[in-house]
Amino acid sequence: MATNSQSVDLVDGDVVRSFARAALLAALISATAYVSIPIPISPVPFTLQVLFVCLAGLVLGPVWGSVAMILYLAAGAIGIPVFSGGNGGIGHLFGHTGGYLWSYPVAAFVIGAMVHRGRTLKDVSAVSIPVLAVSLLAGLTLIYGIGVPWLAWVLEIGLAEAVSLGAAPFIPLDLVKLAAAAAIVKSGRIDTV
Amino acid sequence: MLTYEPDDTLAHRLDPRSKLAVQIGFAASALAHTTPHALVVLTGLALGLLWSARVPLRQALYAYRYALPLLALAPLISAITLGAPWFDPRAAIAPALASYRVLLIILVSAAYIRSTPVRDSRAAIQRTVPGKPGQLLGMGVALVFRFLPLLRQDLETIRDASDARLGTERSLLERVVHIGTVSLERAFIRADRLSLALQARCFAWNPTLPPLALTRRDAPAFALAGVLVVTVLL
Repeated sequence: MATNSQSVDLVDGDVVRSFARAALLAALISATAYVSIPIPISPVPFTLQVLFVCLAGLVLGPVWGSVAMILYLAAGAIGIPVFSGGNGGIGHLFGHTGGYLWSYPVAAFVIGAMVHRGRTLKDVSAVSIPVLAVSLLAGLTLIYGIGVPWLAWVLEIGLAEAVSLGAAPFIPLDLVKLAAAAAIVKSGRIDTV
Repeated sequence: MLTYEPDDTLAHRLDPRSKLAVQIGFAASALAHTTPHALVVLTGLALGLLWSARVPLRQALYAYRYALPLLALAPLISAITLGAPWFDPRAAIAPALASYRVLLIILVSAAYIRSTPVRDSRAAIQRTVPGKPGQLLGMGVALVFRFLPLLRQDLETIRDASDARLGTERSLLERVVHIGTVSLERAFIRADRLSLALQARCFAWNPTLPPLALTRRDAPAFALAGVLVVTVLL
């Protein structure tokens, strides 16, 4: 063990609290990679990752929300089994789903920035439905806006084919997740401040 | 599932930083080249990397089986055309080669996962990423690793409790709202307890890190990573 003779530089209380929440949210989005709610009509597995990307921005704000997503990607990169299907590895960040993964911190930041309008967090349950809807839709657009062209580029397929493979089957269910994210924060059961 | 296994292979003796560099180099090279010739070379290299950590190919393929259907679908969808000739196999060639390189990029990670414990990866992050962001990133991934099993259990409990109360009869939206709310509430209760515990134990920006040392053995690995990155320009 290396020895260190400098004095301890303590982390501030509010940073510790936000950091712990970001780390646990990253662990929670990782845990949802294993849970899929089976739906009889669709062959596409229904996972909750997009829900928690939205909640990260809404509940933790732009800064810590994107920190949570970066922690999630870093955990996956060093091989902790956090990506869908219960796998890890830095290869996923460069693979066909890499675009979606890279878009998560950006989407969490944009959702957080549109809802909180700054670094100080607001009470999300008091935010109006139209603001929530617009920011969540902007987040979802970003996820597909980065994920689908990446998919097309990496697999060398056309954009239309990438949409049919990597967006069309998922979007209806993602809209359910956006509605759920709005309902969860409006319920007032999750405190942000 | 792939996970760290103690062993004494070549990959186990390398520093995590050099292994990460090789993977990034491999991904960069594979993303730049999809000619059959390049893919033969990359396949040989990927098999060599898996061998260096003694990961059986079958095990690696099995672990990443969820990625396979989509990678197989991409060339198929490209071959299907609206109108005559309906199915054009020539259109499937480029996507098939591209899908194959993605498979190689993902497979190579298996060698790193089997040969690197999380605490070493964490130390590598904290030594490589400078300043406070590096400390938070390293601590954060360690916490994700620690809490992942607990939160998985929480999710299972929530689902079981919901199923026992006929939760399966509710609409999809209601189920998602329920599982999302309860799991987030529980995660944040855990987070607030954790932050108190961290402060009680002097959570600091300058912790003592686990030992990690680059040795002469890492030089060839860095050289390989460098060569792979240079091939992007070819």
